[in-house]
Parts: sequence; structure tokens; C-alpha cells
Amino acid sequence: MAAEKAPTGARLVGRYALLGIVTFVVLFPVYTTVIAALKPGSEVLKKPLVPNAFTLDVLSDAWTNGRLGRYLVNSLIVAVIITVGQLVTSVMSAYAFAMLDFPGREALFVLFLATLLVPLEATLVVNRRTVDSFGWLNSYQGLAIPFVATAFGTFLMRQTFLSMPRELIEAARIDGAGHVKFLRLIALPLVKPALGALALFSFLSSWNQYLWPNLITTEPEMNTVQSGLRLLRFGSLNQPNLVMAGTVIAAVPIFIALLIFQRSLVRGLTSGAVKG
Amino acid sequence: MTRGVRGLIACSLLAAACGSDKSILVAGNDEASPTVPTSATTIVTVPTVEGEEPLIGTPTTTPTGTPTGTPAISVTTTTTPLETLASCPTDALTGADDVVEVTFWHGLNADNEDSLNLIVDSYNASQSGVRVMAQNQGGYGETIDKYIQSGQDSRPDIVMFPDYAIQTIIDTDSVIPVGACIQTAEYDTAVFQQSTLNTYSSQGVQWAMPFNVSTPVLYYNKARFRAAGLDPERSPQTLQELRDFSQQIVDSEAAAYGISLDSGTDSGGGWFIEQWLANGGDLYADNGNGRLAPATRVLFDEPRGVELLTYVQALIADGLAYNVGENPGGLDQFFKMADKTEPAAMTIGTSSGLGIVLNAVDGGLVEGITAEDIGIGPFPGPGAVPSALVGGAALYVVAGHGDEKAAAAWDFISYLVSTEVQSQWTALTGFVPVRPDALLVEPAATVYRDDPRFRVAYDQLVNAPDDPAQLGPIFGPRSEVRAVTARAVADIFSGADVQASLTAAAQQANALIADYNARN
Amino acid sequence: MLLPSLVILGTFVLYPLGKAILLGRQRCDAQGRTCTSNGWDQYLDAFRSTEFQNALWITFKFALITVPLGLVLGIGLAVLANKALSGIGVFRAVFSSTVATSVAVASLMWLFLLQPEVGVLSNIGWLSDMFPILRTPGLLRSPTTALWSVALSSVWASLGFTFILVSAGLQGIPEEVHEAAAIDGATGTRRFWAITLPLLGPTLLFVVIVLTARAFQIYGEVDLLTEGGPRPDATTTITYLTYGEESIINNNAGLQATTAVLLFLVLLVLSMAQLRGIGRRVHYGS
Repeated sequence: MAAEKAPTGARLVGRYALLGIVTFVVLFPVYTTVIAALKPGSEVLKKPLVPNAFTLDVLSDAWTNGRLGRYLVNSLIVAVIITVGQLVTSVMSAYAFAMLDFPGREALFVLFLATLLVPLEATLVVNRRTVDSFGWLNSYQGLAIPFVATAFGTFLMRQTFLSMPRELIEAARIDGAGHVKFLRLIALPLVKPALGALALFSFLSSWNQYLWPNLITTEPEMNTVQSGLRLLRFGSLNQPNLVMAGTVIAAVPIFIALLIFQRSLVRGLTSGAVKG
Repeated sequence: MTRGVRGLIACSLLAAACGSDKSILVAGNDEASPTVPTSATTIVTVPTVEGEEPLIGTPTTTPTGTPTGTPAISVTTTTTPLETLASCPTDALTGADDVVEVTFWHGLNADNEDSLNLIVDSYNASQSGVRVMAQNQGGYGETIDKYIQSGQDSRPDIVMFPDYAIQTIIDTDSVIPVGACIQTAEYDTAVFQQSTLNTYSSQGVQWAMPFNVSTPVLYYNKARFRAAGLDPERSPQTLQELRDFSQQIVDSEAAAYGISLDSGTDSGGGWFIEQWLANGGDLYADNGNGRLAPATRVLFDEPRGVELLTYVQALIADGLAYNVGENPGGLDQFFKMADKTEPAAMTIGTSSGLGIVLNAVDGGLVEGITAEDIGIGPFPGPGAVPSALVGGAALYVVAGHGDEKAAAAWDFISYLVSTEVQSQWTALTGFVPVRPDALLVEPAATVYRDDPRFRVAYDQLVNAPDDPAQLGPIFGPRSEVRAVTARAVADIFSGADVQASLTAAAQQANALIADYNARN
Repeated sequence: MLLPSLVILGTFVLYPLGKAILLGRQRCDAQGRTCTSNGWDQYLDAFRSTEFQNALWITFKFALITVPLGLVLGIGLAVLANKALSGIGVFRAVFSSTVATSVAVASLMWLFLLQPEVGVLSNIGWLSDMFPILRTPGLLRSPTTALWSVALSSVWASLGFTFILVSAGLQGIPEEVHEAAAIDGATGTRRFWAITLPLLGPTLLFVVIVLTARAFQIYGEVDLLTEGGPRPDATTTITYLTYGEESIINNNAGLQATTAVLLFLVLLVLSMAQLRGIGRRVHYGS
């Protein structure tokens, strides 16, 4: 921990003033959004900076008529499927690349890494058709399955497996542990931090998916939070406070999760930087 | 780091150096493939309005169109026999064992969606054989996109498409023409407003059932009219009057601008251009707006179109009109009327926004404007008498989902265009009834009598004379061409040369049409 | 064990890429199903077309704004919060908070701030008197400010992410290094340039790579804030040109595939440049 020592006197005051100003700037959009969401329609435009009226009606309207409640559940389900899927497939493929010997291993690994170079946007035109031909429009599998494997996860986990102490692997071999047993009892507990980081990345990136759910959803009930907000924005611009209420509802769960998991979030994001 | 940045700049310079100044729309096409067809395919010359008449009040001597001696157009060129198209077994519902569920895609937003859901609910409650599930796709454009991208099985059973989509949808070979259902069910359409039906028919086939018909109208703030010394009950009827009124409003400082305009595809940048040309009696595309034979080129770059946009451009250049731009969401031009410091006194918007605007104002969204302050007048155009093309959208029955679904779809559609439902729909939204008899029953009868604002859109639709210019253009890439004109209009509004912008736009549009015709 | 990953990556990454490459030289009928080849020159022509050149330039410009700005602000906030002050935890939580906002949430917040008629800023009297552009034509509607506004919203949204990363990087620098430098008489500013920044190298590299990738794949902000406008296409990025509702090739499956593949190629070139240009210069400390 190398936090610098606290300044004193005038510099201290200056430092707090600066922190205060920056806090104000960072939180300003959040503040205006929240107070708009808590005002009735007739008050939104009058004093945009002052909470001069209060109602929860708009929030509840966004929750039920704006279907935000439903969208949150959809987003959660999709994000969980993708996260769990990525963890499982990444561990499996990483284990194969790190621990097993098979012909073409290097070539395959390069192929895996090559998929990292393909931007999501380059594949969606065709994926829309593929998912349609599977009959997966408007479904959780359509929203999630294309993303349950990732070369990034494979790469991250492979590096982690490779950094395990050799002696441990040898010892396990001598004890006659099979692959599954070795993985479950020895390897996985050791790579927990990396798994956590991967889970965090998967969850946040799937939660943030915007274009894909927009493309494959035609039943309003199957929207995720992101694509649902788009529907709300273009459908209800005559009610800015309703759109803001939807925005607040969409942000709150993640914000709470952030507060609870702040430490592990920081650790997770950072380990990506160090390992990656 | 520096090297990376330098690399980036080098890359983009390289890219800029190899720019071709050609549109992506013609990418890959051979040079030989013509932008304008050289060989005379079916080009029917149609008389436009006589040349000596100036377009807009101002005396100009613009020769217009191709005033050849061709006789007035009698439609019925080629007609497709209905028997060759998908059939519509409207009686298949009687054989259904269970409730037939049909999906219905639409692009209506805000209060209009609520009104539609109300009607869908009452339909579902009114009978037990069919259950309709209305699914909002977010807008007309989104509805077309998702429909085109989806395989036939993923498409809905009923779908709402805007007027400009008709040729594209015909060419997807994916719908049962509603005319087939009308025929099988022996449904009587004689009481319908015929122009609403004709808009959705091509070569003798009724492809879709008009349901939510709208026309552009003038929204104005009566309080500002009063402040400017204008009669709050009389709105400008022509573009010439629009200019005069705006001048008076600006001079009297009743408002900062006379009118707010936009360059959105489904409003000022596309739709209104079609409407203005029609009101002036001019065709938008050749071959009778594509209704006598497939259109091969657009005509908006001809002198009358240039004159029209020059006139509108001057409104903005002279500070009488304010341009709100692309208008995502379709409400920006209304918001400009509600602006606190530099409002406009008028704007042009679809009549289907009437319910939404009145509700928003009633809800107190805008300080100082009440629902009574909102006045509605006809769409001011170049012609002497206000008139308008059928806008809005119509309902299509999707093919290949089985007899029961087709029959159920027809049952629901015939419910939507029934006298009672059209009456209710009109009164709730500001859409125009597709059948005049809807105005004789409640609630529309009272609304039309007590609140003349709802009548305006209907009257100008009925006013439209009976000729091809008044049926609106029909050709494949209508939506793309609107995108092209919207870009040109945006340029023109910010001061670009009108003739040059329109010529460039017309070239692009013609290339799109040629390309489309070659592939379909 | 490789099978699940292989199947998914094959079906949803490699196959669609290959298919898109083939589709990208084709044009389709109204149905979008019957497509015929228009020749490989469709790629070259599309690349050289005014629309793509514009989109490419807009995308580069967006990256050139958001990456340095995001990086500098992230470093600034992290340095600012890297003091042992009482209550600093609260400030750290605030600075990392935008990590909780998704693309749609952040964009809608900024839309409500910037919209010229119903937006917050234009309805604050003194502010819009001071900056009339807030109202006429509005930051999102002026061709000169629209891209900057979208960029600002995007930088704000990724601020939490960069802050967290750089903060962690700062805390990883051993205290002794600073103490030694302080004894040698180095001032705070000098210590920052000579020691802190170089030691942050790997972290900053990671941030730059992530921010660049984000910038080149920006879509949601454009879709929600400007729909690619104001015309002529002031915020139409490559992704918006490909997928946007207001794009001129919207619904042209062939050309959509063309621009999607071109995006892939542009990113490929960029990745190479990044690896070569930046990777070599970073000091992996210790």
C-alpha cells in the first residue's frame, strides 16, 4: 500500500476542495437523473436542479408498464448463464491446453487466440440468421449461448494453470489422481482469484450487451435492461421523467452490487491488467 | 505511444487519400451498370400541372415537368390476377379446436401504443377463438428491419408497415394480399375512404389493409398567434401564407421563430417532401409515381422540387423557421414550440401525434401552454388548396403460418377496421378513420364536432384530387430514398445549394432504384 | 475438453466471420435471402466510398478523443485519491461508481443532460445564457460538438473503470521508491513523471488497449444520443453505419457484411500497430 502521506494546512484544504469539485462533476448526471425520476411530469422541466416535488409513481410506472422489473430478471438470467458458461468452458479448454499433450495443440491454441481479433460487430450480421434458424429469437439461449465460450477466458486460465507449482502436479500424478479429481481438488482452489476475475469480466460485459439483444428480440418481454431502455427511450420521450426512472431502476442493482463487492471488484479488475 | 498515434494518423491519411467520392450504395457495381437506365424500359410520360402556373405564390417562369399531350391517366395497366397469389382461407377459424394465438408487430409508441393495447384487449375479450399478442418493435423502421432479417417462421402473423414499405414487402413474397381475404370473406369495402385503400394496392391487388392513417398537419400555439395579432382560429393554408404569418410572428416578437422544421426521414427530410410535391400536383417518381409501371427514376430534382426547397430554405435563412435536425424520437420539433426562451409558434407533425401532444400538455410537461392553446391547421403546401397523401401504416397478413392463423389474422384486422373501432381509434389518437361512417358513431362523432382539431387531417385527405400524384410514390427502396433526401434536406437547411443537393440526391436515388429493380 | 469451446467459437465467431466475408461481396434481393456476387471489388469500393471514409474518420476521431482523455482523467483521479486522508474511501467509491452504469444507462443520463429543449443544462437559465449553444442548436445537434458530446458521455461512463485500474497500479508501487526519490530531493511533480508514470506502464497499456477497443466498437451511445447525426453523419461510426437504424445501408445485408468485415480488418491493422508501437516501449517494472 503506497498511498501518499496526507498533506497539511492550506494544501489539505485545497485537496479536499479539489476532491469535492471532482465528486460534484462525476455525480452531477446521476443527481439530475435521480431527482427527475422522483418528480411528477409537470415538475420535471421547471427546476431541473431542485427536488421541488416528490413521487414514487413514476418509478413504479417504469417498473410495471415500462417492464423494467422483467428486463432486470432477463438481464440477470442471461448474465448468469454467460458467466457460468464462460467459467466452465474456459477452465476445460485451458486445462486441455495447459496440461494435456495432443497433436495440433499449438495450432489450435493460436486459432483460439485468433478469435480474440474478431470484433463482435463483425459476426452479428450472420449470427442473427444462425440464431433465427435455430429458432432461438426471443429466448435466453439466443441471448446467451453465442457468448458462453471465450478465448480471453481460455487464455487467462491457461496462464494461471501454467503458473501452478510443478511439484504439485507431479505429486498429484504420483498419487494417481485423474484429471477430474486433480482439477476439482487441487487446481481449482488454487486458481480461484483468476476465476473470480474472469467471472467479473463475463458478468459485466454480458450485462452491458446492447446491440445483440436489440437485434434478436421481437417480443418486448424478452428484452434485457439495455435493449429495454432503448425501447423506453424512443417510446416515451414525451415523458422524460419516465425514461429517467427506467434508467435509475436499471442502474441501482449494479450500483448496490458494486458497493457490496467493491474490494473484490477492484481485485478482479486489477488482476486482469496484471495478468493480461 | 507516440508511434502508435503516428501510425493511426498515417493510416487515416492513407484512407483519406484513397477516398473515391462515390457512395457506398454503388460499391462493387460495375461501371457499366447504369445509374439511369439508358434503354427505354416502360417509361410512361404523365402530364404534370401546367407549366405557366407558379409553384408558390411568387411569380416565377419555371417550365415544369414534361407537358406532352398524353391523355389523363387511367390506372389499370397490368393487373396481377389474385388467383396466382397466396389464398386467404378466412373460414378456417371454424375448424380450430383451440384458441388461435396470433402475434402482431407494430411500431406505435407512447400514448398511441396504449390506445392500441386498449383495442387489442377489448378484441381478446370480445371473443374466445383468437388471442392477439401485440408486440411493439420500437418504430416503423425497426419493424421493417426485424421483419426483413427474420426467417418466415420467426415473423409475426400480422404486421404493421408504413406506407413506404409496400413494394419491398410485395417483393419479399411473404404476405397474403389482404385483397384475397376481402374476396373470400366477401367483405364490403365500398364504404371505405377509397384513397386509403388505393395507397396500399398495386397493379390491381389490395396488399394491405389501411388501419392507422395519418397526414401531416400544422400544430400552432394560439396564444402566440394572438400575441402577434393573428387570428388564433385561422392557420396558414399555403406555404406563401406560412411565410407571411411567420414574418408577422417574428416581427411582433410573439415568438423567436415562426415555425420549427426538421430533417427527419419520416418527417421534414422525407415524408413532407413527398407531401409537398403531391400537394403541388407533381409526381415524385416517373411512370405515374410507379403506379403505371415500375418507377425508374425520381423527379424531385426537377425545377418544381428545386423551387419548393429553395422556398423552405429561405424560411430558415431569413430567421423565420428553425431547423431542429434529425429529430430522433420524432418529438424535437414539438419541444421547440415549448422552448422557454426561443420558442417557435408553429410546427409540422403527423396528425397521429395529436393525442400524444394534447396528453403531454395536459399533464403539465410544458409550463405556460395548455391543451386549449394548441391549434391544428392543414398542412401548408405549394398548392392553393390544402390536401395530403395517405400516410401512416397498414396491416399485412403474413403467409405460411397455416390457415388458422391467416383466418385469425383476418378476423382481427376486420375488427380493427370496423366502424366502431375506427371511431374509437380516431378519437383516441388523431389518426384518420379509414371509413367515413366511423364519424357517424360515438365517440368520433362528438370529438369531430366538438374538437375541430381532430377533423383537419381527415378533411385534407378527402380534399386530395383523384390522380396518381395523390396516391404517393411506389417503388422498392422508398425507405432508402427517404434517407437520401433527408441528407439532402439537412444540407439544404444549413445553406447548401438546392439544385446541387437535389441533383446529387436524385442520382443516388436513381442508382438505388436501378439496383433494386435489377435484383427483384 | 476442448469441444464446448470449439463448438461455440466455431459456430458464433469463425463461421460467421467466414460467411460474412463471402456475403460482403454480394448484394441481396428484398427478402435478403437470395444473394448474388457483386465481385470482390465491393470491398475496395465500399472502403473508398464517402460514407465509409467518413465513418472511418469519425471512428478514429472518437478514439483520439476518448482514449487520451479517458487515460488522463483516470490518472488524475487516481493520483488525487491516492492520499491517506480521512474519508478518502468515500471519494474512491464515488470515483469508481460509474463502473455501475451500462452503455444505455450512461447514454440516457447524458441525453437528459444535453437535450436542447427538455434537457437539464439548457433549462438552467444562467448557464444557457452563458453558453447559448446548449439551447441553439444544442450540443448534440451541432455538427461541431456532437461527436465531442457523445465522447464525453463515453469517457464519463468508463471513468470508474480507468480509475479503479490506475488506483490499483498506484498502490502497487512500493513506498520505498518514492521515499528514496524524496531523499534525493525530487519534487512531487518530478517524482510523478520520473517514477510513478513509468512504473504504471503495464497498467496504462492495458487501459489504452481496452479503451481503444471500446472506442472502435462504440454503438449504444451513438444510437441513443444522436442516431448518427447531425447530418451529414457527424457521429456515424463504422458500427453505426453497419447496424444503425438511420444508416443508409440499413437492411442491405450484403453491404452490412462488407462494412462489418472492413471493421474487422481495420481493428486487425490497429492491433498490429498497437502491439508493435506500444508494447515495446513499456517497462515492465521490477
